Amino acid sequence: MQYSSFTTWILSNGISNQTLELLIAIPVLVTLVSIGRYILGSKTYGIYAPIILSIAYSYTGLRYGLVITTVVIITSLLSHRVLRKIRMHYITRVAINYCILTISLIIFLILINRYGLTLENMTNIPSLAIISIAALGDFFTKQYIRKSLKTSLLTLFSTLVISILGWYVITRDLLSTYLINNLWIIPILILINLFIGQFKGLRIKDILRFKSILKEKENA
Amino acid sequence: MHRNSIKDILGLNRRNQEYIRPYNSLSAKMIADNKILTKRILRKEEVNTSDVYKLIRNKKQLEYLDWDSLPKSFVIKPNKGTGGNGIIVFYGKKKGQNAWIRPNGKTMTQRDIILHIENILEGRFSMGSKKDIAIIEERVKIAPPLKQYSYKGVPDIRIICFNGVPIMAMTRLPTKRSNGTGNLHAGAICTGIDISTGITTFSMHMKTKGLMSDTYEMIDKTIDLKENKVLSGIQIPNWDNLLTIALKCQRATKLGYIGVDITIDQDKGPIVFEVNARPGLGIQVANQAGLRWRLEKVKGLEVKSIKHGIRIGKNLFGGEIEESIESISGRKVINIVEKVYVYHKPKISNRKKKTKIKIDKESTKAFIDTGVLTTRISTRLSNRIGHTDTNKYFKQLEIPQHFQTFKDAQEYIDIHGQKIVTSLDIIRLAKIVEDGQIVIRPVINIEIKISEDKKELEAVITDDIPYPLIIGRAELTGYLIDTSATFK
Repeated sequence: MQYSSFTTWILSNGISNQTLELLIAIPVLVTLVSIGRYILGSKTYGIYAPIILSIAYSYTGLRYGLVITTVVIITSLLSHRVLRKIRMHYITRVAINYCILTISLIIFLILINRYGLTLENMTNIPSLAIISIAALGDFFTKQYIRKSLKTSLLTLFSTLVISILGWYVITRDLLSTYLINNLWIIPILILINLFIGQFKGLRIKDILRFKSILKEKENA
Repeated sequence: MHRNSIKDILGLNRRNQEYIRPYNSLSAKMIADNKILTKRILRKEEVNTSDVYKLIRNKKQLEYLDWDSLPKSFVIKPNKGTGGNGIIVFYGKKKGQNAWIRPNGKTMTQRDIILHIENILEGRFSMGSKKDIAIIEERVKIAPPLKQYSYKGVPDIRIICFNGVPIMAMTRLPTKRSNGTGNLHAGAICTGIDISTGITTFSMHMKTKGLMSDTYEMIDKTIDLKENKVLSGIQIPNWDNLLTIALKCQRATKLGYIGVDITIDQDKGPIVFEVNARPGLGIQVANQAGLRWRLEKVKGLEVKSIKHGIRIGKNLFGGEIEESIESISGRKVINIVEKVYVYHKPKISNRKKKTKIKIDKESTKAFIDTGVLTTRISTRLSNRIGHTDTNKYFKQLEIPQHFQTFKDAQEYIDIHGQKIVTSLDIIRLAKIVEDGQIVIRPVINIEIKISEDKKELEAVITDDIPYPLIIGRAELTGYLIDTSATFK
């Protein structure tokens, strides 16, 4: 493959192709997160979760990734529901949640191995990727406890949207080759973030929230 | 009414960047986020907060807590809690048991409560999950009128102040869905308050459904009480006092942009619950008005005192009530003593061969009197606006001092009126009662501006009036008269 001279120089300095692809995907991802937060107004579980998730998805493949995510979320939800009835300290509750998560993931992988469920080859997925996805359960339950199921699901949804976009950026060869060859995009992304950082206008979500005030104007 | 445009609305980005960051210093925010510190600082300003029974800082103190020393009803709160999380109210102790009753009828045993306090100490409810302190404090006894509008729980009043001026206010009424808390996101009802009168205006609550955004639904009545009540038009008692308290909180905490939560206790009066360094934006919906233009109007103003701040807030942002009635009935509300402008007779000057017409106007108090038909103007005011000659002329006329009956007066007018009227601005003669006697007085045309409307009207010149101007019912079609408010 033909790379630009700057990229070739970087690659010749011992940085692997894959590492560079992942590294440049990060600025794109975080910019997506900041656009989502300050222009659209949709929250994600911090900035770390979408990055980890999209990298994990790029290892697992989107389909498997989403299946594991679903297992993680459902298990966390159920274990939280059950554990809620028992009075105990907070951290112990989270710890038990992780234990149950491990059990259910093992059972799930066995089931896949036995019955396929159109998800063959899943057992070949790097375990680190599965563990990264499992960490999502904690983010999810935390917000569920503090706010509500609805807000937590909403946040989960936008986190997944951003992660899927990230997965797309990482896995499309055409896109990542373009990014690798055009590293000037990074300073551009910094500029975009600088701009968003100064942005004082209404977020899309604000506009939706306050549209009833604007309607009042038309009646008056 | 101020027309709402998209530029008037305050969004999260601008709130954070233009108001919270520049006007709320880190140390001030630390005070607001710490309930114990807030109480201590507000005490200096002699602002009431709820009495603390016990502070529990660690597990050892929890172990040695003397449960028998607690009163029947109390509240447990995390010191650095957010959004009302972790607050539990207890109504009373269950007889013969080590258990306490909550507003929803459920009981919590001593063991349950200990566990809850342990959770507080571990920081489950605090910002950033940091270690926290549990506060056990008195339970507020809610005073009417707000009590009857809320489902259990404690209704409160939030006042947002900026730069020493009250900007916007609302009440938060707990509902069944909000589980007795005043948390908007949990489903409490929010009612806007007119800053100048303390009367509630529009109401809303958050919809249960709605995915992309927090959407609100405007409502007229309470939703889950035995007998649902209309929410607009409630007079919050001691309104000025509440505004004063809110501004005192601002002065004490040095938060430039602050939301003060006040509740009214039956015995102790207003009690400040909490001061908020990052007050939410839903208040705009409850008031059907944007915060941004209000904040921008107040920015940079030199506010000399709390009273001055209240006056500014009332003048700039008050009047939603009147406006809302206006938009319903198409009528305008005027005060019983209303400020009006009276236009002077045009002055024509011939300086440097140029003819200039100058029309002055002056403001005056007008008494709105539906008991008289024609408007009346005092001799002094009529002289001032350019009718000196008219008055001089009328005085030298030999009209009888008074008449026995209206009929006599009318006969006199019929005979002599024509001759008198031809001269000097007098358009007709009127028979009125002055000092209990029937007299004849001249009527002139004047021009006034009342509640933004310019009007030309007939006015009788008389001295038997307590105000320079009395506006009679001939001019009052299309107005509603507010008898509660007086001239400010």
